[in-house]
Formats: sequence, structure tokens, C-alpha cells
Amino acid sequence: MRMNDVPDPGVHTLPSEAGTSKRSLISEPAKEKLRLLRTNASKTWKIFRKNRTGMRGLVMLVVFLVLAVFSPQVMVLLSWIGGWDVAYDPFYKDFTADSESPPSAEHWLGTDSFNQDILARLIYGTRVSLLVGLVATVVSMGLGAGVGLLSGYWGGVRDEVLMRITDVFLVIPWLALMIVFAAVLPGGSSVTKVVIVIGITGWSSTARIVRAQVFSLKERAFIERARAIGSGDYHIVRKHIFPNVFPLMFANAILTIALSILSESTLSFIGLGPDSSDVVTWGNILEDADDVFAIQQGLYWWVVAPGMMIVLVVLSFTFIGYALDEIFNPKLRRR
Amino acid sequence: MANARRMILRKAFNSFITVVLVAIMNFFLFRVMPGDPLMRLRDNPHLSEEFRLKMIEEFGLDQSLWVQFIEYMKNVFTFDFGNSFSQQLTPAMEIILGNLKWTLILTGTSSIFMILIGMSIGIVAAWKRGGMFDTGSMAFSLFFYAMPTFWFAMMLIVAFGTELKWFPSDSAMSYGQDLELTWTAISDMLYHLTLPAISLTLGSIAAFSLIMRGSLIDVMTEEYITTARAKGLSDARVLKNHAVPNAMLPMVALIAIDLAFVVGGAFQTEVVFDYPGIGWLTVEATFDKDYPILEGCFFLIAVVVVLANLVADTLLVYMDPRIKES
Repeated sequence: MRMNDVPDPGVHTLPSEAGTSKRSLISEPAKEKLRLLRTNASKTWKIFRKNRTGMRGLVMLVVFLVLAVFSPQVMVLLSWIGGWDVAYDPFYKDFTADSESPPSAEHWLGTDSFNQDILARLIYGTRVSLLVGLVATVVSMGLGAGVGLLSGYWGGVRDEVLMRITDVFLVIPWLALMIVFAAVLPGGSSVTKVVIVIGITGWSSTARIVRAQVFSLKERAFIERARAIGSGDYHIVRKHIFPNVFPLMFANAILTIALSILSESTLSFIGLGPDSSDVVTWGNILEDADDVFAIQQGLYWWVVAPGMMIVLVVLSFTFIGYALDEIFNPKLRRR
Repeated sequence: MANARRMILRKAFNSFITVVLVAIMNFFLFRVMPGDPLMRLRDNPHLSEEFRLKMIEEFGLDQSLWVQFIEYMKNVFTFDFGNSFSQQLTPAMEIILGNLKWTLILTGTSSIFMILIGMSIGIVAAWKRGGMFDTGSMAFSLFFYAMPTFWFAMMLIVAFGTELKWFPSDSAMSYGQDLELTWTAISDMLYHLTLPAISLTLGSIAAFSLIMRGSLIDVMTEEYITTARAKGLSDARVLKNHAVPNAMLPMVALIAIDLAFVVGGAFQTEVVFDYPGIGWLTVEATFDKDYPILEGCFFLIAVVVVLANLVADTLLVYMDPRIKES
């Protein structure tokens, strides 16, 4: 915050000269908001850093992010350590090894029925699993926030209608909904379709949470004050309601990522996810294993590792989500 | 009391609306979506002419959408979804009801264990908050919460099916055995039920233990607990007479909501164990493109879950004196 100590030339320039000064392009309130955002973020981080569970989750997540972003490099590194001839990629078929072979020096987690290295598939699988989790969460957060804000702000009949629709998505078992949507929506088994299916089945609880928050905000004095000075609906929702709902949504979003990743792996396992010959996810590694009865044959390494990856990534998001929830909703901190 | 009745009536009305919305969604998903599965089937050249004509007649595919819709809504509320595509002479509902009993057996048994064990864990964890049991059970609950149920089911098969060979891991009965009230049939049924029930119970237990723990911890900060303690009641009495009954209210509400979650777990368990329930049937129907079955399963599940929620809401109104009086 050194900047504030230096006399700001923008403040003293006359209005006619303001356009020539580059700094005054950012209006004062906007600058103030940026500053607030920065201090809030660093404050949040300070509390978060002391939260052991949260930090554990974050460290785990960073490892997964590295695996996802640098999958090829990780495989090159591993091939160097293991002394393999090639750095395997998920679709490389190694015909010098047997198919469905047990773990060996060349294939640490063995091979699948197409002679593909399971370890390589596992590491590359991080990419799609994380990506689907993140993008699907953006879709469901957008839908949930939209419905929740409108419903809570409007109230009355329109709220009633939106809530009945939300009930449908809230009450029906998520897996049944996903299966039916995956079965009837066009688009084959593309990743985009999986994202959409998970996104449109997972927004209802967010809508409920946002709506409840908006209802309690609406009664508060500062909203009335804003209305009294003539602010429009759009302005009130954007400037006064949304910023107050956002922290709540943020923690909820992190937890939703965990659920979306679980949904993706379940859909893929059932066989409604991306095709394992095009795209590799942890779910479809397990699907491939199930197709050839890997567990009944005793090929455990094929099944144990992908499941552990799912558990760990879901745990990491859950830890972070709970930690953020405690920070943003101090009422819960007593628990 | 009049208030309570009005509240329940309102809830019942909302439930009815939810079911109607599900029916409408069902109709539009299967008929109007861009892929329009039924239309695609109608124009499928691989089907026999006879079957195509029969289907066009059965679903009224040659009539306007509006006529189809009216006809459909009439059928839905009599649970008539037409004949199955894959088993062409059997009504879809007959097949679905045949499979429903297995899902009820599986979810029923598991739910009892889930609620009892989950609540006990939650109560002890909340009471000894911060202690060894609390930390341990929280870690256990979180681990199972983060785990895909289908994967846990596979791990159970690895351990107790493939390696130890203690329990079977396919189907609900031995081949050729029917479910009847004889000792052999029932023991065979239970024998096949063991692993799926363990899978579903442990897979969903976390929701119950975490909620019970949270709810009880909330209650324990209330003043009446301090009062009860101040009166000199023993810990056990405070817990039994004051804390747990009050912590039960949110539990009842959540047991119904969690039913949706449990059904999701049941789907996965059934698929992994080839347990011929509704979940297994839904997945099979998806791959067979057997839309009458798929629609029927979806609608039936929705109705059952909505009803369960309504029952829980009603119970809650009668259990909570605050709602009754206000």
C-alpha cells in the first residue's frame, strides 16, 4: 500500500486534463475496490494458511495440477528414472509387453488389454478429470447463481415457479438424472456433452443456497437505502447483492468441483462418459478394467490406483472447500 | 393444528407439482430433444416394418405433439409406459416392478444399518468432540465420502469375492433359484445381499454421521443443555433426554433428502454386482435404447423419492412443536 503514501497526481489534475493522464483512466472507486480485493485476498490467505486441513488439501491439489499440466514431462522424467526406451503416452501400444501384464520394471502399473501403459493413462487421466470437474462446476455455478439470484430477488410467483423447477433437480437422485440426460442428449460421448450433463444436473443446491442468502440480504438496511436513492434492480443485484453472495458461493463451488469429478468418473465407469480410445479419464480406465473382469481375474493394480487418485483429488477439494467455508462463514467457525 | 395441516397440504401440493414437472420433462426429453430418440427409432431402417408400425401406433408418433402430450400424461398417471423395446411383448412397468423388489431389499436393508451406525458414530463423535474417536471417525467418514461407491464395491469384490471367496459378487440369487419363503431361498438371498449391502451402507454412511455430529454439536451450545448440566444430570442423561431428541429434527429432514444420494449409491452398487434392481435396469435400458423402460424407471424413482420427502416433511411438522404452534 505504498502507493497511497505518494501524492496522487490524478487527484489534483483538472477535469479537462484528466484524459491525458494515464492513471486517471481507472476511476477512484474502482481503484479502491481493487485495493480492497487485494487486501481481502491476502487476509483470506493469511487465515487459510493457518488452517491445517485446508493447507493439506491445497498441497495435494498442487501436486495434481502439476501432474495434469505437465503430464508428458512427468512421463519423460519417469522414463529416465525407470530406464524405459520411450516415454509412454496413454495411447502408445507396447507390443513388446504382454497385454494385461502385472506391474514390472517397464510398466510400473502393468498394461491394459490394449498393451497400453496404465501408469501413463493414470497420469494423463488427471487432465480430463480435473478439466471436466472445473468446467462442469462453472456451468452449474452459473445456472445456480442465476436461478438463485433471480428467484430470491423477485420473490412471489416467479420465485415459486423457479423453486418448483429447482425441486425437480434437487429431489431426483443425481445419478438417475445424469443417466437419463446422457442417454437422450445428442453429442455421442464427447467431453463437452459430459460437462453439460454434469453441469445441468448439479446446480440445484447452489440455487437454494444463493436464494436463501438473497432473501436475508433483501431485508437489510443498505439495500433499502440503495433503493431509496433510486438504484435500479440490475444495479442493486450486481453491486450490493452479488458481492455478498459470492463468498458463500466460492466455498460451495470448491465442494461442487469434488462432486463433479465424482460424477464424471461414475458416468465414465458406467460407459456414458468419453470413449477410452479417444480420451482417457480415471473413470474410463476403471470401465476398461471392468469390461475385461479385471477384478475377477485378480488384476488389482489396474483398479486400485485410479480409485485412489479419485479419492485423493476429491479429498483435496473437500478439504479446501471446508477451510474456505470456515473463513467466509465465521458463524460456522465454532463447530 | 390448523396451521400444521395447511402446511402439510401445501407441501403435498408442491410434491404433486414436482411429479407433474418430472412427467413433463420426461415427455420433452424423449420426444422433443434435438436427438429425439423416439423419432430416430421410427425412422430406423433396420427395424422390421411390423414393429415400426406398431410403435408409431403405440406412441402416436404420427399425431401432433399436443395430442401425443395429452395421451402421454393420461398414461403416465396410470403408470403405463407402453411395451418394452427389448422384450417386445412385456409392458415396461411389469419389468420395472419385477426389478423394484431387489432395489427395495438392497436400499431398505442398507438404510437401516446406515442410519443406525451413522447416527451412533455421529453422537459419540460429537460427545467426545476433538478426541481420538472424533478425529478417527471424521477421517473415516471423509474418506468414504470422497470415494466413488462403484470403486468401493469393486474393492469389496477384490477382497471378499475374488481372494477370500466368502461371498458371491454377481446377481441377487443363485442361478435358477427364485425368491420364495423357504429357508434355502432366503439364506441364498441374504448370502448374495451381503456384499452389495456392505458396499451401499459404508458408501453412504458418511452423510449420516457427519450430519448427526454437526447437528448435535449445534444443539450442545444451546442454553437448555447448560441448564440440564447445572441441574446435576449425568452426561448420559443429558445426551439421551436433552441433546439427541433435539438433534434428531434436522436428521429426519435430511434422511429424506439423502435418499436421493442413497439411490445414487444403489445404482452404482447394482451395476458393479450385477444386482438386478432398478439402477441396473436403467443402465441396461440406456444401452439397449429401451426408452419405455428408461422413462418408467425415471418416473417411478421420482415419485418414490418425492413421496419419501413428503413423509419426512409431515413427520417433521408433527415432531417439531415450534412448527405446530406457530
